[in-house]
Amino acid sequence: MRGPTLVRLRIGFVLIAMIVSLFAVRLFQLQSVDAATYVAKARAEGVVTVALPATRGTIEDRNGTPLADSVDGLMLVADPTLTVKHASAIATIIARRLHVDYFDLLQRLRMPDTHFQYIARRVPATEARAVLTEIDKHGYKGIDTRRDPVRSYPGDDVAANLVGFMNAQGDAAEGAELMFDTMLSGRDGSATYEVGGGNRIPLGENSTVPARSGHNLKLTIDRDVQWYTQRVLRTAVQSSGGSSGAAVVMDSKTGQLLSLADYPTFDANQPGLSSQKDLGSRALRDVYEPGSVEKVLTTSSLIDAGKVTPDTKISVPSQLRRGDRVIHDYFPHGTLHLTLTGVIAKSSNIGTVLAASKFTHRQLYDYLRKFGLGQRTNIGVHGESPGVLNGWRQWSQINQDTIAFGQGVAVNAVQMAAAVNVIANGGVYVRPSLVKGEATTSGGEVVGSDTTTEHRVVSARAARLTTGMMEAVTNPVVGTAPSAGVEGYRVAGKTGTAQRVGSRCHCYNGTFTVSFAGFAPADKPRFLVYVVVQDPRNGGGGGSVGGPAFHKIMSYLLEKYAVPPTGSTAPTPRIDW
Amino acid sequence: MSTLMNQARNRVPRFAEAAVERARLSVVPRSTGRRAARVPFFALLSVLLVGGVAGLLFVNTSMQQVSFTTTAMEQKASELQAQRQSLQMQLDALRDPQRVALQAKQMGMVPPASPAFIRLGDGKILGTPTLATNADSVRITPMRNPKPKALRQRTVIEKVKAPKDATTPKVTAGGAAAPGTAIAAGTKKTRDPGQENPR
Repeated sequence: MRGPTLVRLRIGFVLIAMIVSLFAVRLFQLQSVDAATYVAKARAEGVVTVALPATRGTIEDRNGTPLADSVDGLMLVADPTLTVKHASAIATIIARRLHVDYFDLLQRLRMPDTHFQYIARRVPATEARAVLTEIDKHGYKGIDTRRDPVRSYPGDDVAANLVGFMNAQGDAAEGAELMFDTMLSGRDGSATYEVGGGNRIPLGENSTVPARSGHNLKLTIDRDVQWYTQRVLRTAVQSSGGSSGAAVVMDSKTGQLLSLADYPTFDANQPGLSSQKDLGSRALRDVYEPGSVEKVLTTSSLIDAGKVTPDTKISVPSQLRRGDRVIHDYFPHGTLHLTLTGVIAKSSNIGTVLAASKFTHRQLYDYLRKFGLGQRTNIGVHGESPGVLNGWRQWSQINQDTIAFGQGVAVNAVQMAAAVNVIANGGVYVRPSLVKGEATTSGGEVVGSDTTTEHRVVSARAARLTTGMMEAVTNPVVGTAPSAGVEGYRVAGKTGTAQRVGSRCHCYNGTFTVSFAGFAPADKPRFLVYVVVQDPRNGGGGGSVGGPAFHKIMSYLLEKYAVPPTGSTAPTPRIDW
Repeated sequence: MSTLMNQARNRVPRFAEAAVERARLSVVPRSTGRRAARVPFFALLSVLLVGGVAGLLFVNTSMQQVSFTTTAMEQKASELQAQRQSLQMQLDALRDPQRVALQAKQMGMVPPASPAFIRLGDGKILGTPTLATNADSVRITPMRNPKPKALRQRTVIEKVKAPKDATTPKVTAGGAAAPGTAIAAGTKKTRDPGQENPR
């Protein structure tokens, strides 16, 4: 090779080497020195990760009607720096379509020194999009939407005490929403992909973790019955001047609760408007002394044990001295000659105490335990109270006497309904249920109608005879609650008027708990209805306050479920001798 | 070692000499034939190349197209889903027992006092048909919440002794009625609680 060529070649090599080393340096810089920054930049540019929110399960009634439903929702947010110019025009559009306060909007759209303001939360997606379309059409800028799932409660206050609600942060706050939160909520997923011009790049990075939707929860409640029961209960509480009330409707055979009403209750769509203590179910949380309704349990136990019959003759004095206490009846009388049926029909405390003296403490206690007193029903409601039934070893004679007519023992409404239902169900206790099928609570407990249990408490004969005595209660001539009867049907029931323990002094403060429990048709029971009103101020008792409410609910049930009368007539009760 | 190999070679029996002779390798004379035509080969290569690129482009474009369609349809699906949900909400609102009951009440309907049935088989009436009256109705709308005591307006009756000469207002020298003399006894006044002193 000659001189000049060699020189040219060398210069060429040097140039190439210089350029290549420049590339190498740049490569080194990109790959190792600034790598992290560039990766982040690339991500921000083209890769998008979106959360795929799981759909929360629906809570529905026994017929599949939704009581709580999840709806795709959006929130409207504004960037006030962009909206301030056309604030009034934008506010007009939004206020007209979404029922948001115009002046409040105006203030938010003009908020200085911020890029973010909430305009409306939990708007159904279609409505939010319609608003956005209209705003776009006018060419206004600065309003955007973000995901904001809506939990809607179509019934407002219907079954709100049972269903509960989701709070403003989107967390379950009460009722079944909270109790079955794990089951309902499912698991969120996510999707990561590259986008270009708003579209997914097909061969780009792409990974998806699918969301798992929550399971639905089915309650044994019938929405229509629940609605009607709530309205009847509200009427009963308000017109008697009571402070609160509860009503339980149970299917006698299966123990499924068709309705569990509380008053006062709240609107699940606007829980903030109600007082904190109205947000749960009083029927399960609060305990009270059941009063005379409990006599049904005592007498059926006595009959089952063969101690008495409905015709047992009892001489009822005007008052009864027991130890240092004196027991009275609610109505003044001289010495009465009542049969046990008469004792129930007239609701005589003294008569019941005399009959119950044939039991030892332990016998009565064992029967009452079998009736479910002093134990939670575990139907799947948050914070259920077990009630109070002290062990028999702690009883003195006066304890047994008062417990026999329903004082000195405390229950929740569902517990008491289930206990009286033993008589309706031929002497067999069936554990009540609120969840149809079965469901797992967030605590891991399996509850529901499929897991219900049964056990015999009293014989079928004892149940039948007790039913006969309870029919005397609704008898228009001799009973304490003729207003509870349903024309053409045989109805068995029992009134209760109990002295109430005040929350302040923890003593009987002169207020009362009035109640009525009953079932129909008496000779072939289908439904048990139990109505309790706390602290009525109009001087009413179980018959005059609870009776009419019972009548209305029972009539509705018999009509709705097409239960014809059995055609038999109730025998005339023999109440005295 | 080599002696061993030589021994082995020598031991090969000499038979089929002719065949061995035929199979012996020899130098082949240089080929004088034509070279293979280059054009078809290059044509094939070009076709493959262009076809490949075009195919790839086509696949890419169509995938892009599919992606656009997917995005559009997904959006449409979510819109339709949202629409279905809001229609469902409207339906739920229409089926709301409270709404139905209010409408029934407006039409003058009341709940039945006690149920009775007609058995279609033999036309027999089961139960006791009873006339439903307004007495059986249930209050379905909530009572208005009573106002808190502090906000309730109270009617306060103030009795003021009428001055003896109230009927004939004093005429002073200036000709104007004396202030305060024209107040009638027992004036009804509605007072705002704010103005009242707490008792």
